[in-house]
Amino acid sequence: MTRKMIKDHPILNFEHEKKKVVKFTFDGREMEGFEGEPIAAALHSNGVQVYRITPKHERTRGFFCAIGKCSSCFMIVDGVPNVRTCVTALEAGMKVETQTGMGILKPEK
Amino acid sequence: MDSKKVDVAVIGGGVHGCSTAYHLAQKGFRTALFERDYISSGSSGRSAAGLRYQFGTEVNILLAQYNMKCLKTLGEDLNYPGDLEYDPAGYLWIAYSETQLEQLEKNVRLQNELGTTGSRVLNVREIQEVAPFLNTDGMLGASFNQEDGHINPHTLCFAYADAAKALGVEIHKKTSVTGIITKNGRVAGIHTDKGDWEADAVVCCAGAWSVEVGRWLDLEIPITPERHQIMITEPVERMKHPMTLCLDDGSYWKQCPNGTFMLGVGKEEVKDTSYYASWDYLDSATERILPKMPILSGIRVVRQWTGPYANTPDFQAIVGPTPAEGFYIDCGWSGHGLQFAPSVGRIMAEFVNGEKPFIDVSMFRYSRFEEGELFFEPACI
Ligand SMILES: Cc1cc2nc3c(=O)[nH]c(=O)nc-3n(C[C@H](O)[C@H](O)[C@H](O)COP(=O)(O)OP(=O)(O)OC[C@H]3O[C@@H](n4cnc5c(N)ncnc54)[C@H](O)[C@@H]3O)c2cc1C
Repeated sequence: MTRKMIKDHPILNFEHEKKKVVKFTFDGREMEGFEGEPIAAALHSNGVQVYRITPKHERTRGFFCAIGKCSSCFMIVDGVPNVRTCVTALEAGMKVETQTGMGILKPEK
Repeated sequence: MDSKKVDVAVIGGGVHGCSTAYHLAQKGFRTALFERDYISSGSSGRSAAGLRYQFGTEVNILLAQYNMKCLKTLGEDLNYPGDLEYDPAGYLWIAYSETQLEQLEKNVRLQNELGTTGSRVLNVREIQEVAPFLNTDGMLGASFNQEDGHINPHTLCFAYADAAKALGVEIHKKTSVTGIITKNGRVAGIHTDKGDWEADAVVCCAGAWSVEVGRWLDLEIPITPERHQIMITEPVERMKHPMTLCLDDGSYWKQCPNGTFMLGVGKEEVKDTSYYASWDYLDSATERILPKMPILSGIRVVRQWTGPYANTPDFQAIVGPTPAEGFYIDCGWSGHGLQFAPSVGRIMAEFVNGEKPFIDVSMFRYSRFEEGELFFEPACI
């Protein structure tokens, strides 16, 4: 796993070795991340920088505010659009997809 | 302070004040409009901005025909560079009881008799066709018009205000009218917190706040302001869904052109003009609407706000001259007045000019309350 993460921090101790590694997919590609970390963090450490394409100008967007406020990291997760991946915890088997446009609501099954 | 002079002073920078000022200027009146806060800051900018042919009394149906025709091309007609977001996505009135359905059938019959096109009664299968995401449990039928829809209430006001300004109307924002000057038994001007203006006529378009304006002339304008709340969601891609209004509990919702969903409930509320939004409303609106529109279950609400309905005893407007000479009123639009700005703005200018209004609105007269001539609009919540 190529984790683009800070391993040694002067103050914080991330204890990566104690965390559980889980598999998820990004646009069909299998990736690994730590269970419970923000989806966006898992994507970042796998080198994924583009999370959505904006509705009007069709521009790329990725990690920005990282606190669930700015809409930059909206993605489709397990079929649900507009998921704030910066504040949503990663779970094993999640299907994460790039979101294009405003997101399409789907009827509940 | 020096006294300034105009022909007509208009109180209120909501959609009625702006349209009235524009139509007065078109007739050559030197006009000044006074708005306490900013243009569209009252009920107008806070409304659900639904537009419809579907009314249930003759006068409203005839006015609506004119409104709907104007609103379609208003941006171009007023040379407004912005977007009015006029959007005929349709409007469904849903009946849950036989009595409600009979009333809707009656409304549609009257609309058709008066020459409205496009209004029809739908059965449940037809409801599903025009609104495929609705849960139709308990619905008996509906009335529908595909030409009804939505407009941006702010740009609607700005478009009229800018067009009025282009014709020479003075627009005084952040200026409160504090009294009316009378001379020899008739209106002669107004007092404001920025000085006095002489005027031969005053038109009150102060919405739910008109009660106070009337008192300056010893008129009892029978408006009971009622707070109404409303909320908006994050945007999602446009889906096939018309404005939907349910007669069982007064809930209504629609998708705006920018993809957001607007959710409201027309129910008994606090009787005041406060702008305070309450927590419990979030529950009461979503509890009603989500079972009827389950696809919205996961959508996030981003904002909630309030505005006053200017309710009258029969939920009909009060329009025309008053016992105070030179003082005209256009208020009391209860919960449906945004869309009446095109017709009634024109009519107010006709009144001030001494003309016969192009559509008879005498049933909206101020004196109907003491005459006991109330007439209820069945198509309102
Ligand atoms: C939640 C909600 C939903 C609604 N939905 C719809 C809808 O779907 N369709 C529809 O057609 N209508 C709807 N309405 C009703 C509609 O908003 C009103 O009928 C309409 O906007 C009234 O316009 P107005 O110009 O008469 O009043 P307002 O827009 O209230 O304007 C009055 C203005 O006068 C100003 N003013 C008051 N007193 C003074 C003073 N002394 N000096 C200076 N200025 C003063 C106020 O600041 C205000 O800006 C809704 C209303 C609400 C609250």
